[in-house]
This record gives sequence, C-alpha cells and structure tokens, in this order.
Amino acid sequence: MPKSLKIVPDKCTGCMQCELACSWVQTGTFAPSKSVIRVNVFDEEASYAPYTCLQCDEAWCMTACPVNAIGTDQNGAKLVSEELCIGCHLCTLACPFGTVFTLPKTDKATKCNLCGGDPACAVACPTAAIEYEESTPAGDWFGPWSEKVNKNYVSATS
Amino acid sequence: MATQHVIIGGGPAATNAMETIRELDQQALITLISDEPAHSRMALPYWLSAQIPAAHTHTADAAFFQQLNVDARIGQRVTAVDPNGQTVTLTDGDKLAFDKLLIATGSSPLDLPVPGNELVGVQNLWSLDHTQQLLDSTKNVEQPRVLMIGAGFIGFIMLNAMHKRGWNLSVVERESHVLPRMLNADAAGMVTSWLTSRGIDLHCGAAVESIAEGADGVKTVTLDNGTTLSADVVIVAIGIKTNLAFLDGSGIETNQGILVNEQMQTNLPNIFAAGDVAEGPVLGSNQKEVHPIQPTAVDHGRIAGTNMAGETVTYRGSLSMNILDCCGLQTASFGRWDDPSDDVLTISNPTDLVYRKLIWQEDQVVGALFAGRANDMGMLNDLGMVKGMLQTQARMGAWKQFLQENPFDIRRAYIAAGVPQQLVSTTLLGRPSQPRQYRFGGAVSAVQANQSHTVFVDAKSN
Repeated sequence: MPKSLKIVPDKCTGCMQCELACSWVQTGTFAPSKSVIRVNVFDEEASYAPYTCLQCDEAWCMTACPVNAIGTDQNGAKLVSEELCIGCHLCTLACPFGTVFTLPKTDKATKCNLCGGDPACAVACPTAAIEYEESTPAGDWFGPWSEKVNKNYVSATS
Repeated sequence: MATQHVIIGGGPAATNAMETIRELDQQALITLISDEPAHSRMALPYWLSAQIPAAHTHTADAAFFQQLNVDARIGQRVTAVDPNGQTVTLTDGDKLAFDKLLIATGSSPLDLPVPGNELVGVQNLWSLDHTQQLLDSTKNVEQPRVLMIGAGFIGFIMLNAMHKRGWNLSVVERESHVLPRMLNADAAGMVTSWLTSRGIDLHCGAAVESIAEGADGVKTVTLDNGTTLSADVVIVAIGIKTNLAFLDGSGIETNQGILVNEQMQTNLPNIFAAGDVAEGPVLGSNQKEVHPIQPTAVDHGRIAGTNMAGETVTYRGSLSMNILDCCGLQTASFGRWDDPSDDVLTISNPTDLVYRKLIWQEDQVVGALFAGRANDMGMLNDLGMVKGMLQTQARMGAWKQFLQENPFDIRRAYIAAGVPQQLVSTTLLGRPSQPRQYRFGGAVSAVQANQSHTVFVDAKSN
C-alpha cells in the first residue's frame, strides 16, 4: 500500500510552517502563495488544518489533461510535467478538490507531488499534524474534521 | 474468440476508449479509424500561439498504437455503418466487421451562409489542417489582421492564442454579448471591457452580411448595421454540429447527437457512442444533452470502453463546464449557470474584476459562474471546490446561508458539508485509474532531484 499524507486537524496550530516549506522546495522561494498545501484557518471553529492533493484514485486532473502532461510515479503521486503542460487549466477545472494550482508567472499547472516520497510539509510540521504513512483508506481523516467544523457552526447558528 | 472492437474517431473519446479496452482485455482486436491523426483539439491553440510543436497535440502516434496493439487506419473515414451485418465501410472501400462499435466522430464547424464565404482567407479554425492553414497564410505577415466571426468558447481560445502572438484582432458576434453560451451579460461585460482595453475590437449585436476581397487580397466584411471591417484573414467560428450524416438509414437513434444510455450504448446494443457526437446523460437531470468538452469526452470514452470490454459500469452523467482564459481574464462556468432561478448569490466588482455567481436549488449548488484575473489563485481553487459540490450534488444544509454571507469562504462550507470525504472514495469506473506515463517526447514521470528539498530536509534532520 502506498503511503499518503494523513492530516490530524486537532494537532494543527495554524503555524503555516508547512506552507513555507512547501513553497521553498517547490519553487525555491519562501512564498506561501506558491505553496501547494494550504492551511485552513477556521478561527470561529477553533479549527486549523492543512489541505492538499490526496493523490486520489480517480486522478481527475490526469485523465482530463489533453496532452498527457500528468503522469504517476512509484509513490502514486500525480506529477505535472512543467515541460509538457500547455497551461489550458483543464486540470484545475476537473479537480473537484481544488488542489491543482496554476502559477501565474509560468501559466503552468502545479500540484503536490509528495516531494518524491519525502514530503517537506510533513518534515516541517512541528506538531505531527501532517504524517506521511500508510493509511486505509486515504483521506479517512476527512470525516472527523468535517464533523467538527460542521457541528460547531450549526450549534452556533441554531 | 477475441472480440473485434472498431472505434471511429481519433479524439479524446476514441483514444480513451481504446486505452480502456486494452487495459481490460489483452486479447481484444482493436481497430481505430480516424481521418485526422489522433490528437486533442484542446491543444491546438497552444500550437497556434507557437508554445508547442504540432506533434505535442497528438495523443497517439504509430509507436503508441503499436504498443497497444491497435490497428490504426489514419486518413480513413467511415462512409456507412451496417448494424445488421455488423460491418463498417471505409472511404477506401474496405469493409470491416465488428463485434462492438464505438462512434466517436466528434463535431464540425458550421459554415456561414453569406456571400464571400468561399474566398481564400475565409476559414474555420477547428482542425489540425485549419490551424496549419492559418499558420501558413500568416507566416510572412508582420502583424496579421484577423477578424473572427462568432464570440463563443472555441473561438475565444483561439483568440487568446492569436493575442499571445500580438496579432491585430477584431470580433463580430450576432448576440448582444460575447460568450453567450458560457457567460451572462454581467460577466461578459467584464470580458468585453478587458478585451477592449487590450486593443481587441468587439462588435456585438451585429451580423455579417457579406465578405468581399479587394485587389490586394484584403477582406472587407460588411455588417448589418452598416459597419465595414478590414482583415487579412476571416475566421468563421459560429458554432459546431455533430458528425452523424453517415449514420442516415442505419437505425441508430439520434437527436442533436447520437442518443446513448448511461453505459454509452445506443439503441443498438453492440453500438456505442462517446464524446462530442453523443447525446448522453446529464448529472442531476433526466434530460440528455451534447456536452462537447474534453473532460466529458474522456469520461464518455472510458465508460464506453469499459462496457465494450464486457464489464458493466454506469455513468452518473456529465457536468457542463468550461474554463477560458480571455487574454488574462479567467472565466469559468458550471452546470445550470444560465438557470433563470432567482435563488442565486452574485458577487460583482467590475473595477477589481471579481465576479462570482452561485445558482441554488434548495440547498444544492446547481450552477456557477466565475470571472477574475488569471493570477487569482484563490479563485482557481474555489472554482474547483464548487465543481466538487456540483459533482457530488452535496446538500449544503445550513452552509447555504453561510456561503451567502461569506461567499469567499468556499473552503469551510466545502469541508463541513463533507464534500471531499465523499469524493475521495469515488471513481468514474469503480476502480482506481491506471498509472500513466507522459507520452510526448519520451519524458519520464518522476520527481526530479531537488536541491531545495535536500537542503531543507538535511537542515531539519540535523
């Protein structure tokens, strides 16, 4: 079973170290806007959690790409080839998770590539809110997170 | 005995069906017939803008067909289908027998019925040949003047490509605003100001009456409001029609397109249709529609291929959607964006170029429109999540009101309503997509060694 990024929202303090690390390794700059992992800061719910590509089984981005510029590696990561990407944005349109970005300067798609099997966000996280491990099924952490965010809002508004 | 599959077409629906059949059945005999090389039309504008070579638009070359053990008849058309004899006839007279047939013949551009439409330099811009024709005719012109008739999605992708080349552009649209099948008047108004300020000359609410040619080869286009416009090349981009004339008398049921069920099967059980030519199930609706877009073609092709290979998989239906870069202004539309319902949320800031509209039915998002600067990454991520809401048909409950009060906080509602959780266990074919390699130029999909990463991980582990 390939490893995947497992997020533990209750451990996230919203420190944004993952975003900084990600932008550094992906683009060589400390620019969180270029990070492909995004911390969700839900202050009202006292909930913080990073969110990035799950390397989902369907790979909507990969199948939608008209020029086969998205392939897979041995980690199951879906990788955009900057060389082959034409900048048509179809992957951004197709991905229902909102995790395929397009960098404005290059007009090329970019997304999480699991850093080739050693994700910098997980290395950077000081509280182990991001773990890179075998997880069944991938994304099983979504349920509790959704419930918490939902419960707090609904109880506050009803 | 091995099943004989015949696929008519060389676009994304055809090639995806071909690959899917091969994934599931190593023994199957597959023949693919296409009058053009297998390629993706979505990539043509990037060839036109000189960002990629022509070969980059191709999705399967001779080596790839050989690798998949597919008998590819490129340059051939099918002239007739005989469902009873289970054969197709090709232009060269060859007759091929099939057990399963896929019709993925796509669509063709409409002609403009006005005087002068036959002149050299008046052309469609739809196919590989059309693109080559335009590249040839403008090769020695320093700044070609191109007039486009029709301001639809396909025309505008090409317009964007020509803008990148610095060409002198004008557009005539019969309807009252640009992109009438993709945007409402408000969002289209933002596009109009944006394009006008970039020197593109737009004429909406006007129809072309005639095209004439002067001694110097320059075309003069006369509009029904009396305006005359000059251009070196006139592009006719007024719409497309499904390619199904060759099916006349075959007994295959058609409407706008070939009618198919949720297995992409026509009324004849061994004959399937996919892509632009198919009129198929629509997500969240009982109607069937033609959705001539690349992602739908891919889904159609994969569903059809699976069912042709003998497994049974059911399509939930396609979601109409478009994303279009209008020379730096990004626009996108989803689902029933033109639904006249007044249960909508609209955010519009024409000076800051932000436009968002969500169309609701009870507590479900059933349509959406976006416009904003192409460098607005927040919008790009938000529109993906809105697509997720539409795709899962999520009941947003109390989060509908939240979104109406906090329209830029899509994420919170998306997470809370459990959309990603539902998506993560969903696949089109009920199984994971197969691993893929890049195809063009022998590129290998692997993460490159990265100095920044090494430095960072070393520093953290010391």
